[in-house]
Amino acid sequence: MNDIMIIILACAAANYLLRVVPFFISAGENIPSYLKRFLDYMPVVALGALIFPGIITSFPQNPAAGIAGVAAAAVAAWFFEGLILPVFASISVTWFMLQYF
Amino acid sequence: MQNRIISPDSNRTVDGIKSAVPIFLGYFTTSMAFGLLAVSAGLTPFEAVIFSMSNLTGAAQFMAINLISAGAAAGEIIVSVVLLNLRYFIMSASLSRKLGFRKVYARLLTAFGVTDEIFSVASLKPGRVSGSFMLGLESFSWLGWAGGTLAGVTAGSFLSVSLQDAMSGALFALFAALLVPEIKKSYRPVILAGAAAVLNTVLYFKFSISEGWSIVISMLSVTAIGAAIFKDETVEEDAETLNILEAGNE
Repeated sequence: MNDIMIIILACAAANYLLRVVPFFISAGENIPSYLKRFLDYMPVVALGALIFPGIITSFPQNPAAGIAGVAAAAVAAWFFEGLILPVFASISVTWFMLQYF
Repeated sequence: MQNRIISPDSNRTVDGIKSAVPIFLGYFTTSMAFGLLAVSAGLTPFEAVIFSMSNLTGAAQFMAINLISAGAAAGEIIVSVVLLNLRYFIMSASLSRKLGFRKVYARLLTAFGVTDEIFSVASLKPGRVSGSFMLGLESFSWLGWAGGTLAGVTAGSFLSVSLQDAMSGALFALFAALLVPEIKKSYRPVILAGAAAVLNTVLYFKFSISEGWSIVISMLSVTAIGAAIFKDETVEEDAETLNILEAGNE
């Protein structure tokens, strides 16, 4: 096994440990209410941090295209149910912006 | 698998797969780019594909091949990957409470697929998620990630550059599509997500904190303050659903 393979598999092990350990340390169902709120609010907080500034840094050549795409997705999600339509709306708008601006 | 689950949103494997379609699209193109970059950084196609199949992590994989081609030491690369992906630990802790199953092997399997996108989709699904749902969600997403790298190293890029770029934006669209319904329910997500977005942007641009750290700091601090301020808990625990899920699950 060469060096690169070792790195790849070591990273895989490290990533897996990060992901699996929390599944098995549990305080049962009686966790303090602050902790409960903390874990419950986490996904929404994460979404904010995941969208910005990522959407801007992902399109260095045309940040407006990225923002327009996310805006299109948000509008689609506001009026329609489901995840697929917003994603297609975003792809179309971003592609259009990248082509013509 | 089991249709004994009486919940408004279905929890079958096929529902997980349907939820994973947007993720598949975003993952496929992004990892296609990874496959191409990995090969030009000196990895063999086999190594690139194994990288994706065993790690299932986007930014960290890109960073790792950057470091590899810069000649970094193995320890340095592994530590950087762990720092960049610390958020997975917090996400798993949060997601753990959403899982409607306790079987060890199911949890071991589900843990493998904790990514930003899978975490977000699973977390915002009403009620608990079943093992079947997570299986569908994660395996189809994984197929997108693994398949994209395979396509990237064998066929090269067969999509136009602008279409590839546009499709990589699909993941952000997914995040937005998950956030909007929460915002429609209450004003609180606007404050929480908005604060995190602002803080993360400031940390990244003004203080030049690396991506991995900035997102962890943002997630921890905004959630910590939010949980202290917003004390009214939304009752999301549905004991009925949990019992039914556990009865019908592996």
